[in-house]
Amino acid sequence: MAEYWGIKVEDIFNTMKDRFRPEGATGVTGSFGYDIAGEGKWKVSVYNGSLAAVEKIDNLTGCASVMSSDGETFVGVNAGKVDGTNAFMGGKIKVEGDMAAFGKTSKMFRKFVIKKKEMTVRDYLLDMFGTVESRFKADAAEGLDVIYGFDLGGDQGGKWSVFIKDKTCRVVTGIEGKPNAIIQLGDAKDYVDMILGKNDANSLLAAGRGAVIGDLNLAMKWGDYFDKYVDPMGGGVQEQELIVLKKTISVNQRFASGPIMGKFLNGLKEKKILANKCPKCGRMQLPPREMCAMCRVRVDDFVEVGPKGQVRYMEYVYYSSPDPLTGEARETPYGMVMVLLDGCKGNDVFMHLIRRDQIDQIKGGRNEKPGTRVRPVWNDKRVGSIFDINYFEIDE
Amino acid sequence: MAHRKKNRHVAIIGIGQTKFSSHREDVNQPEMIHEAVSLALKDAGLTMKDIECVIHGNMELFEMIHQPDLWHTLGTGAEGKDCIRITTGGTVGITLACASDNLVASGMYDIVMAIGFEKLQEGNTTGGITNMADPLWFRNLQTGALTGSKAYEFITEFGEDRSKRASLMYRVIMDKHAGLNPNAHRSFGLEFDQIDDLIKSSPKLIGDLKLIEMCSQSDGACCVIFACEKKAKELSKKPVWIRDHITVHREEIFQIFGYDDAYPVMQTHRFAAENLYKRNGITNPTDYFDVFEMYDPASWWAVDWLRDFFQLKGDEHIKLVEDKEIMIGGKIPVNPSGGVIASNPIGATALVRVAEAALQIRGDAGAHQIPKPVRHALASGFGGTLWTVLMMLEKELNW
Amino acid sequence: MGKKVAICAVAQIKHDPDYAALRFQNMLIDCFESIMKQTGVTFDMENGIRNIVTCSDDVFDARTISDNGVTDVVGAHFRGEEKMAQESINGLGYAMASILSGHDDVILYMGHCKESQSESRRMCMNLAYDPFYCRPLGMDHLNVDAMQARAYMEKAGVTDEQLAELVVRSRKNAKRDPFARENRTVDVKEVMGSPMLSDPIRELHYYPVTDWAYGMLLCCEERAKEFTKKPVWITGYGSCMDAYFLGDKDLVSNKTLASAAGRAYRMAGIKNARKEIHLFELSDHAAYQLPMWAEGVGVADEGTGGAWLKEGGPDKHNVNLAGGHLNGNPLLLGGAARAIECFLQLRGEAGERQAEGVKRALAQAAYGGAGQHQAVVIMES
Repeated sequence: MAEYWGIKVEDIFNTMKDRFRPEGATGVTGSFGYDIAGEGKWKVSVYNGSLAAVEKIDNLTGCASVMSSDGETFVGVNAGKVDGTNAFMGGKIKVEGDMAAFGKTSKMFRKFVIKKKEMTVRDYLLDMFGTVESRFKADAAEGLDVIYGFDLGGDQGGKWSVFIKDKTCRVVTGIEGKPNAIIQLGDAKDYVDMILGKNDANSLLAAGRGAVIGDLNLAMKWGDYFDKYVDPMGGGVQEQELIVLKKTISVNQRFASGPIMGKFLNGLKEKKILANKCPKCGRMQLPPREMCAMCRVRVDDFVEVGPKGQVRYMEYVYYSSPDPLTGEARETPYGMVMVLLDGCKGNDVFMHLIRRDQIDQIKGGRNEKPGTRVRPVWNDKRVGSIFDINYFEIDE
Repeated sequence: MAHRKKNRHVAIIGIGQTKFSSHREDVNQPEMIHEAVSLALKDAGLTMKDIECVIHGNMELFEMIHQPDLWHTLGTGAEGKDCIRITTGGTVGITLACASDNLVASGMYDIVMAIGFEKLQEGNTTGGITNMADPLWFRNLQTGALTGSKAYEFITEFGEDRSKRASLMYRVIMDKHAGLNPNAHRSFGLEFDQIDDLIKSSPKLIGDLKLIEMCSQSDGACCVIFACEKKAKELSKKPVWIRDHITVHREEIFQIFGYDDAYPVMQTHRFAAENLYKRNGITNPTDYFDVFEMYDPASWWAVDWLRDFFQLKGDEHIKLVEDKEIMIGGKIPVNPSGGVIASNPIGATALVRVAEAALQIRGDAGAHQIPKPVRHALASGFGGTLWTVLMMLEKELNW
Repeated sequence: MGKKVAICAVAQIKHDPDYAALRFQNMLIDCFESIMKQTGVTFDMENGIRNIVTCSDDVFDARTISDNGVTDVVGAHFRGEEKMAQESINGLGYAMASILSGHDDVILYMGHCKESQSESRRMCMNLAYDPFYCRPLGMDHLNVDAMQARAYMEKAGVTDEQLAELVVRSRKNAKRDPFARENRTVDVKEVMGSPMLSDPIRELHYYPVTDWAYGMLLCCEERAKEFTKKPVWITGYGSCMDAYFLGDKDLVSNKTLASAAGRAYRMAGIKNARKEIHLFELSDHAAYQLPMWAEGVGVADEGTGGAWLKEGGPDKHNVNLAGGHLNGNPLLLGGAARAIECFLQLRGEAGERQAEGVKRALAQAAYGGAGQHQAVVIMES
């Protein structure tokens, strides 16, 4: 069993009971499969909002969704080391079955927290110098060409050199080259404490527990060129909780329809589709607009068109955008069609929905080639709105 | 009277960008803006005292802040200064750059600071975009900024296999570029040998537009400082000159492609490029420009738009992608930054295009700096119902 | 500087409490056609309008990218368009810059707002404050203005009765403007008896909900004669932003307005505003703002608003002869309304309310609570 960040794949499953969040599983019933390459398969079952079982099992039939990935990605996502969305989009996580069901699992468990172990002075030094290059602030070191040396004594101590040149930074063990400044400390623990903010450089120097050989100013500027070291043990001051204010904002509106859009909406009540025709270029506007944007003239002439026509193009929608006010999304997949109603020509199409069970039979048209013939299905209760037409359906 | 000579020259002298990310809960809106402002001031070696006018832009309904420049004064530093707010949708960032150019060139201000930002995680973005549509009709039908029509049109013209591979090839190139840009939001580490797999495995959003091919929703801010010729020469070792810009909108209805060759649909991108190049005497844009920072909301659109922006014919635009000529190191690198497909804090996005183009001219783009000298750069913005803005940037004042 | 741009024509619809039968597109179309007819301007890429500036607001329109909804009716199809998402007066400053820069020589400037569309103007204004502190406190421009009103009235010796007289005067003046919102004539007693909205601002002290749209054509100096025989010139513009938190600023200071006005005066070469400017259009969302902003632009001495009103300052200096914002303009469009009144007065086309000898005029507009943002435009015949 391989370990990633010191965590085994089975650790994730074994801790699921403890990490389960009933508030994130309200109303959920179902099984979720996990297929971790080279590690095995697990089935997580939730019944009526409680965690029923986590089992290592070869047969994943009956699961609402099966997620597959390698062990490192799986552990990484659960431990917060790997961005789940990125892994999914980059193809490292694959999901078969019900995507929406799988989505629910992310809310059902708290993040896996890596068990803290003691870090020795040596562990800290390796981590501190191991992260120097990634903490380097290249822009702050414009024009800088220097070497820092570190000579840290004691059983767990060691020597390092940090080269800064051409806005790049390189760390090597041992004192190399001719450092412009060597930071010397008799006890490496003092260095670790200084970096963790438990004591400060001035007092160490004053107390004679450390010295700087060479350019003292340069030594003091270390913090300008490197981001602060972050203690992996989360020592020191506890980080401030980031409060997020959740609020849905809406201001009620009363949208006027005006004489042009209004005439069109009134037409729908009487099962009439009215286009307005540009007096200059002759294009039919659906829905009608006050002006023809192309000709910059007012368009007052209405012509009844359709109601039947041919599909020129259909947007096959797999992902439904949420309604901005209610947050609700339309059931997918669905089809949004551009219908060239009888009496219209060229690109004067009318946009509406197609009957959901017919989306796979719709063919678009192009040039002389006509698309599927369709007719509107009228709403029995028509009020002068877009949904006076429920949708279009195939006209056989 | 045709387009007139500029009253005076204007240069970019300072640039600041935040890291783009889906998680900026650690800062509020003015604080995030302040990060970009501080970086730009530092880059220019200026303080707020030097700034005469602040120009602010984003989309109000994405964060539901009405007249946000009022509150954001805390982060923009506009107190005591002239301050205006100009917006144009997705193009807003580059509109801020155009407006800054106009304000400085007019002689009314010597130094102007433009700030574009968005905190998309604080609002419902697809909902926000859907709100763009007329409330009586299209709002009930629209699908945010998603459409599969470009993929459909592309496939109709060039066949399914070549089209899908070109779109994914573009996507992988952008991901490779994003990997070199520390500010980029999304960088997956995609490889070219994954193309066939991604065509099959990436979830479909709408038609043949797949999740991997669509831009992200990011938080972030960008700040750019503009100065008149005199000030720019005094204050900056590497001023980047704004040569010209053009804005072209389309009608309210989102009807961007035709179903019948007998009724061709005029394209804003081609129209904008034609007019801009004509009045600046540019005959061969792929030869003239050394880099293009393009607002690429989805890879299908991106490949197609290369044809319009570069005035190419037939399948020349696909070949540029297939031959990797748009990669850093290629003939005409496109989006060395990783583009919008990698990072999209909408109100900042189009200003980032200008900022990144300017960084390339300065030679300060770091790991994503293109290896040859950059003298002429092009930046674009996209928004609304296929609105476009183009801006030309130059290293030398010699046109 | 001596550089100037021309306003060749203006167009507007009548201010109305509720254009219930019109979309904002319908409101704009009349203005658009009027400008085309007055000037004969075209959309030719060489000689016509290549760029349009609009002014509208996403929150009032309840539309993301509100300018998308007006593209058709401002002629922006395959032309440039940029939205001033701030007080409309700044659109004049920006159009001026676009022309002086050389980038554009003709700019169409159009704006609209239907305040009546939303259920509550105050809910919209509340959204202009930060979501953590000021919003939950219930701040909006009205009650922030009220705090300023109380402090200012104390400082400048302005009384409740004087505010009432300003309201009466505003309504009377508006009667002489055929495009003004039709309001009832009121007397001092009625105003003083009107209910408090936010002490000391009474209902009648505050501008009523209004719908409106306008258009203007601006161009460079050399081309003005192509579009009009009587251009009006914009010769100065300045704006200034104040601090956001009320605790960070002196509520009764006119520092921000004075700074915006100072910039406009320098640009227009004005040394003594009181003598050299013959008409003032001030942005009085609430009655107390007329004397306060009068001090800010220098037509009254600092801290003397009360005395200045007593001496008949507003009539002596031709202030708000068409009723001002107080009679009703939509929020954010007040500046354009001020400028249009200046234009008509400078052209001698102000009808019954025409003032004598107006050669130079000032339009001012405030934006945000307690005039957080101020802008001034100087116009000359």
